Amino acid sequence: MSSNLERVVPILQIADFLLVPIQIDLDDRTVGRLQQQLMREIERTRAKAVILDVRMVEVIDSYISYTLSETAAMARLMGCRTILCGIQPPVALTLAQMGVVLEELTVARDLEHALVLASSL
Amino acid sequence: MGLDKIDTILESPAHEFDVVVRIAREEDIAVARQMAKQLAQETGFSLADVTKIATAVSELARNIYRYANQGRIMIRKKLEEKDGPCIEVIAADRGPGIPDVDLVLTRGYTTYERSLGIGLSGVKRLMDSFAIYSEVGKGTVVITEKRRRKF
Ligand SMILES: Nc1ncnc2c1ncn2[C@@H]1O[C@H](COP(=O)(O)OP(=O)(O)OP(=O)(O)O)[C@@H](O)[C@H]1O
Ligand SMILES: [Mg+2]
Repeated sequence: MSSNLERVVPILQIADFLLVPIQIDLDDRTVGRLQQQLMREIERTRAKAVILDVRMVEVIDSYISYTLSETAAMARLMGCRTILCGIQPPVALTLAQMGVVLEELTVARDLEHALVLASSL
Repeated sequence: MGLDKIDTILESPAHEFDVVVRIAREEDIAVARQMAKQLAQETGFSLADVTKIATAVSELARNIYRYANQGRIMIRKKLEEKDGPCIEVIAADRGPGIPDVDLVLTRGYTTYERSLGIGLSGVKRLMDSFAIYSEVGKGTVVITEKRRRKF
């Protein structure tokens, strides 16, 4: 039971939003736990948007791209939009070259822009 | 063709490479990625290219972990090349092999339920050269290189 309630990332509540700075390596196990934690927090706080901040993430491969979109799809089913911010320029270049489309996600320039977008929802 | 190549690569001695990472657990993917990054930085690649190489290694290591359970990522600097220094990344496993290599290189093709199916085609786009040798029941070898750009 306690493992189900594990906190893998810090989740900060700002007004109606949840801010999630992603600082860990997203492997299969952590992704599952992060998704559970996030769904729980969305349910508890009734947040209308989640901001995923990936400033600290140095590599986003196809698997991480998939899991970010999947997380956003889950959040959407709970009535919550997901905004991604902080993609580093070399990461953006790599994703563009691979042809990755981040479905379900709204991408913001930076945290400030993400907060503006979240507020206008 | 290619079949002898699989054996040769699978048996290549570790001392011929700067970095050899055995992939057997999920954590090893991050290790391979980190080692690739370090070696590319040391070789003087731009941050953009370091990121591309690390991403390619991440894709190849995850494929080994997912589809073959275990295998090796081998990386070496090639400084004497006529076109300038380059980094070679080899992913090798004795897993199930791939029945149709052209098919798996199609964007969006996947046999795994939670994925985009763009790993291998992405690696091909990120790197300068790409070759794949595979035989069902024997294993899979991917050989890929990236040259250092002049600034
Ligand atoms: N080392 C391998 N051994 C056996 N089959 C492989 C191997 N690597 C890839 N494949 C096969 O090729 C398919 C395509 O691989 P690719 O990496 O392009 O996409 P994916 O792994 O399915 O998804 P993604 O990489 O986008 O998460 C896989 O679904 C799998 O069937
Ligand atoms: Mg893959």
